[in-house]
Amino acid sequence: MPTSKKLPAKPKSRLWGWLTSIRLTVFLLLILAAVAVIGTVLPQDQPPGYYFGRFGETWGAIFYRGGLAAIYYSLWFLAPISLLALNILACIVHGLPRALRRSLRPLTFEAALSLPERDKLKWPKGVDPRGLVADLLRRQLGRTRHQALPDQDIYFHEKGCFRPLGPYLVHIALLCILVGGLIGKFWGIEGTLPVLQGETAEAFRVGNTLAPLNFQVRLDRFQVLYYADSAMPKEFRSDLTFLQDGKEEMKAVCRVNDPVSFGGLTFYQASYGSQPSGPVRLQVSYKERQETIEASPRQMVELPGGEGRIMISKVEGNLQGLGPAVEGIFMTGRGMGGHDFFMVFQDHPEMNQPIGPYRLTVESAPFQFYSVFQVKRDPGVWWVYAGFLLFLPGFYLAFLRPHERWAVVLQPTPKGGWQGRLLGSSPRAREDFDLRRARLLEEFKKGTPS
Amino acid sequence: MSQILGVVMLIYLGVAIVLVMAELWFSPRLQQGGRGLLWAGLTLQTGVLIERWVSSYTIAAGHTPPAVFLDQLSLVIMQAPLSNRYESLVFFAWSLPAVGLIAFRKNLQGWLGAVIAMLACLLLAYASFGADADIRPLMPALKSNWLLIHVMTAFLGYAAFAVAFGAALLYLVKDKRPQARLPAPPLLDRLMYRAIMLGFLLLTFGILTGAVWAETAWGKYWSWDPKETWSLITWLIYAAMLHARRLKGWQGRRIAWLALLGFLAVIFTYLGVNYLPSLHAYQT
Repeated sequence: MPTSKKLPAKPKSRLWGWLTSIRLTVFLLLILAAVAVIGTVLPQDQPPGYYFGRFGETWGAIFYRGGLAAIYYSLWFLAPISLLALNILACIVHGLPRALRRSLRPLTFEAALSLPERDKLKWPKGVDPRGLVADLLRRQLGRTRHQALPDQDIYFHEKGCFRPLGPYLVHIALLCILVGGLIGKFWGIEGTLPVLQGETAEAFRVGNTLAPLNFQVRLDRFQVLYYADSAMPKEFRSDLTFLQDGKEEMKAVCRVNDPVSFGGLTFYQASYGSQPSGPVRLQVSYKERQETIEASPRQMVELPGGEGRIMISKVEGNLQGLGPAVEGIFMTGRGMGGHDFFMVFQDHPEMNQPIGPYRLTVESAPFQFYSVFQVKRDPGVWWVYAGFLLFLPGFYLAFLRPHERWAVVLQPTPKGGWQGRLLGSSPRAREDFDLRRARLLEEFKKGTPS
Repeated sequence: MSQILGVVMLIYLGVAIVLVMAELWFSPRLQQGGRGLLWAGLTLQTGVLIERWVSSYTIAAGHTPPAVFLDQLSLVIMQAPLSNRYESLVFFAWSLPAVGLIAFRKNLQGWLGAVIAMLACLLLAYASFGADADIRPLMPALKSNWLLIHVMTAFLGYAAFAVAFGAALLYLVKDKRPQARLPAPPLLDRLMYRAIMLGFLLLTFGILTGAVWAETAWGKYWSWDPKETWSLITWLIYAAMLHARRLKGWQGRRIAWLALLGFLAVIFTYLGVNYLPSLHAYQT
């Protein structure tokens, strides 16, 4: 139908052309990059007050209501990424069948003959180059095929014929990863679980709600271990027991980089802390007097002599590897004026600084560690990993395995000698191709008696 | 050890000077000398790197002697000198001539070689003046077999992008002043493309191994941490570039500008992110 060419493209095919265009890909990639930049510059997932307080009424409203405050979950991000997924899918549908056909069709001698000519070769009378050429090509390129026609001999070789599949594998891998992300979003669950040492938990926090575990988990012990003679933590370690209807099912140790799985959920060591579990007993030295006082956490306690008051805010279980430490604030006199933070170690009284006219030593500081776990189940993660694995052959084919085709065509000349033509192409690796071509020519020259 | 690193720094500086002189005096012999000197600096720095790795391992094995072979292997992997800002700067400086010489062979000479050697020299200078050089015990978050491959691929990728950056700079100069004695634009364009391809491959590996590691350490393969996000931004820019090359009118100058932009993103991914709250703040 010669007239159909003049008609404007059908709307459907125009849409298809747009969806499969690289221009769209480049545009979307740059848009996504820009959106991600905004996401790192503007603090994400803060309460609304933060944006109004910091940027004022107008900009705060634009940032918060406009979805920029949770940009990766807003249309700003989801629309271009969805369109990119469509774009990738369309390109795969559009190009994969042809790439497959091309990869599975071996190089024929007819196709080899139509490769672009690179060089001319000549052999003098009395020299039959056929054995020489076959041998040399085998040595330089690997397995070569041979086709003898009445008037010419063709030796041809193809390498990297699966190269066209490489980009498709990479793009399928990307889709796998995106699908994995979606599966995780819709069928996965993710939350946090704080447990006090010695206590048993039956539910964990997901957003602002509690999700029940269908088993119990007990934190037997939490420890922060330090490197010898160093304030550098070496290990955060939670000893856990998983129970089913009160019966112990499994004991496990959960560390950073070393998660634990039970009942379809995985537990990751995420954070920890300690809280006072009773009044702290402190020995107070004031002038020549010594007195022991009891201070309940978060309650103001008058110190002997009336020169100040303290409030215990925190008992650290193992501060900088030096054992338990009591932290709080000290206020002088009766006014609400100046206050100082202080910190006293239980096992290292020599490190404790005087606080105003007082010196404090810790007699006992009962505390309880708690440990916080990231808890999750993500059925999508296998899709993501499958995508990661697909990347490997995809990148190998796309980037490291150029498609090379070579042919040498030999013809006897009327004068009794032979002439040859070196044909070949490698569209995406011209430098390697030129190097190999130079080497082949040199070898031909070397192998030819002059 | 830091004295030897100072020598390496001076060698890289020397390489930059020799290669620039080679360009100015059209001297192939100086080109060869500069490249030889760069190899010498790289070899010396490799020695320093291995020495630090060994002593780092010895100290760690002193703390907790590994019991079985697998523990020992894992300790060797984890004690690779890649765990703080100083070590990463030094490794970045090492990657530049390593990637340049091994992946780009003879192309790494003249102005391009000088740019790479100068960058390596500056990184070493920054490491010696601006970072703490003591060997520190490894913090719990970094105790993983993924550390070595994740950090190595990332930095080798950065180095390849640095080569692309150098080629892009030369391309833009040549574009502005065609009479400048620089490699021909098509050669620079191809070089840029090859460098970006290699960098993209390595960066992708860095991100993927990082994601697998994050999944085992934090329970999330992706958490929009600023460093993750910036590596994604870098990845998106280079991905855009690899695709844009196939569009009409996008070869050459525009690609070169994108390569400059991409390298800015690389630098920000590496250094700038320290000014944002990040789970990757191991760099103190």
